Amino acid sequence: MAGSALRRLMAEYKQLTLDPPEGIVAGPISEDNFFEWEALIAGPEGTCFEGGVFPARLVFPTDYPLSPPKMKFTCDMFHPNIFADGRVCISILHAPGDDPMGYELSAERWSPVQSVEKILLSVVSMLAEPNDESGANVDAAIMWREQRDEFNAIARRLVRKTLGLPP
Amino acid sequence: MQLLLSSVCMALTSAVIGFAYYQKQQFYPAVVYITKSNASMGVIYIQFFVIVFMFGKLLSKIFLGTLRAAEFEHLLERFWYALTETCLAFTVFRDDFNPRFVAMFTVLLFLKSFHWLAEERVDFMERSPVLGWLFHIRVGSLLTMLGILDYVLLIHAYNSTLVRGPTVQMVFGFEYAILLTVIASTAIKYVLHAAEMRTDTPWENKAVFLLYTELVIGLIKVVLYLLFVVIMAKIYALPMFVFRPMFFTLRNFRKALNDLRQSDNICIICREDMVNHSKKLPCGHIFHTTCLRSWFQRQQTCPTCRLNILRTPTANSTAMPRQADEAVAAAAGNQIPGAAGVQPAGGVPPPSPVAAVDGNQAQANGNVAGVQAVPPNFADLFGDATGLPNGLPNLAGLQIPPPPVMPMLSPFMMPPHFGYLTPLPPPPIPQDLTNFTDEELRAMEGHQRDHIVQRLKLLQNINLMLDSAGIMMSQYQSLAARLQLTAATPASATNGSAGSSVYDMPSTSATAMAQLEAHQVTPTAAASAASPTMPTEKVTIEDLGADADEDDIPSTANEAVSIPNSDADFEENSSELGELRKRRLKFLEERNKSVAANERTTAE
Repeated sequence: MAGSALRRLMAEYKQLTLDPPEGIVAGPISEDNFFEWEALIAGPEGTCFEGGVFPARLVFPTDYPLSPPKMKFTCDMFHPNIFADGRVCISILHAPGDDPMGYELSAERWSPVQSVEKILLSVVSMLAEPNDESGANVDAAIMWREQRDEFNAIARRLVRKTLGLPP
Repeated sequence: MQLLLSSVCMALTSAVIGFAYYQKQQFYPAVVYITKSNASMGVIYIQFFVIVFMFGKLLSKIFLGTLRAAEFEHLLERFWYALTETCLAFTVFRDDFNPRFVAMFTVLLFLKSFHWLAEERVDFMERSPVLGWLFHIRVGSLLTMLGILDYVLLIHAYNSTLVRGPTVQMVFGFEYAILLTVIASTAIKYVLHAAEMRTDTPWENKAVFLLYTELVIGLIKVVLYLLFVVIMAKIYALPMFVFRPMFFTLRNFRKALNDLRQSDNICIICREDMVNHSKKLPCGHIFHTTCLRSWFQRQQTCPTCRLNILRTPTANSTAMPRQADEAVAAAAGNQIPGAAGVQPAGGVPPPSPVAAVDGNQAQANGNVAGVQAVPPNFADLFGDATGLPNGLPNLAGLQIPPPPVMPMLSPFMMPPHFGYLTPLPPPPIPQDLTNFTDEELRAMEGHQRDHIVQRLKLLQNINLMLDSAGIMMSQYQSLAARLQLTAATPASATNGSAGSSVYDMPSTSATAMAQLEAHQVTPTAAASAASPTMPTEKVTIEDLGADADEDDIPSTANEAVSIPNSDADFEENSSELGELRKRRLKFLEERNKSVAANERTTAE
């Protein structure tokens, strides 16, 4: 089982390296352990996260691709769909069985045809368009809905922080 | 910066012209003076480029609006490459080097830039969520204009080559031919993207069309480049300046070819080639058998389109069940008790040995054939079913779904060493009770003695089948225990039950797909189940009205614990049945107490 997971991860790594999507870099942290990846996600253009480069860590289960990986941002994030500890709350990462919030269509959930690339692209679009109905970070959701300027200011501060610039 | 440069340029030009006028006072002498002076001509040329640049800016504002940063970057990058190639081309044609020649190359570069931009824009369509009519008008007019320009210039180059023999015009003709292919592929892509956008659902075949477009255009381009290189090498010298684009075109073409070869036989679950052992689901998606099996232990849906393979009536089932359905529908209105005669799913007969052998044969064939499974011989089974008397006339009125024949999956369900298993027709699962009016339902109920007898028989048959399923399960388990293959397999991990270990055929998927596979039960198991636990005496109306499944069939109940995937379906079916029974019983108790009491005594 782990063998097929490893082969699939290697295939995905190769694909991502040969034909990387715009604004996304991902790969195993070390070539010894293909079940832990690091990804760099560029903040989408035209949003408050524009210009930022956000590191995240992906941990794959041994039965990947039957189960989804777990994804966690390793930098500070302030976003309605990202928990305070960096975990990403996005439907594509949820196995079809469990439904923590009870609002997701099963059609949006994990299935083995999904891939790292699709996850990361979904995260990019999540950064661009937060879903304020699933509040992983309620403060951020409220601020995003009611005080957009303030939210944008915080996001821009985070962007500068990820780039190592003074705020 | 650009503003500063252009204003400096403007100032220089006006200074040059003004100075010439000041010196000569008249138009013609002034013009002659400017053309004679190299410095003045240099200024004029620079002015010319600035004007071209400004014109380009204006056009891109009109047709493309503001450029995105990525677009601009790509444009710049490609522009520099194109400029170097143009300089290389100049070395080949150094004899024809004159302002007209430079002007023509400028026009070519200018047009090329717009081709690239149009291409980028159309590629961007796929990623941008909302596009207004402005976008479509802009892209449409830009593509049309570029296409017409390319065509006109190509014809011009062709004619001049015909008239004057091979000159530098040949290069332009070739370049415009290439640009024409670019515009063609961009236009096709645009049409495909636009067509997809018109509908809300993603268009799955688009990728295939795109791939074929890329292949055809790539082939045309490769042929053009090769022709050009050969002709140029014969007439002038080796055209160094097309090597880079030719290399990229070749690479893209090879990639498209690879895609074409792989797209058809890559299992999207494990991303490996599907040479054999692949399985096609009713929705048309193809996967590895092993990958599909491990996914079905989690969820019984198609990984790509999430079609629930347990619920949907088979799209590729034969016409036979459908006809039966129609017959049922016809019989529904006027309640003909005899209608059950042509009703395939009316009863659950023990299949005759001949049918069993046939079924076995079909299974074996399916295993050999691999992908192209032979549908199990249900016609024979149904033939038997119709011959037997225990069809239920009153059930005939209910819409009975076509038996979930899943021929494609049968060999995968039936590894060779279980070849002796034969599918039985499924128990009738009444559906869509809501579609009938109260009167129809009441008419279907029937309240004659033989109706009730037959109902009881049906319920007994269901009970029998559940029992036999239990026996089949225990057979699997004992077999698995004998083979002592356990633990490391994921199925047991998910089940959490040591008993149902996984051999070639995981027990979970076995039962989960028993339904999908039209409830396969071994005839031997059925027979053995029938003899010891023949529930004829046991089943009473009270039992059926209550939770008959849970109480009377402990084996199945035990299984339900160890089979998290399947038990939901089982339960739903049994609850559906239970509901039906309850309704019937209520009805019976109200209307036909005496008959019911009579029945109870006879049944006991």
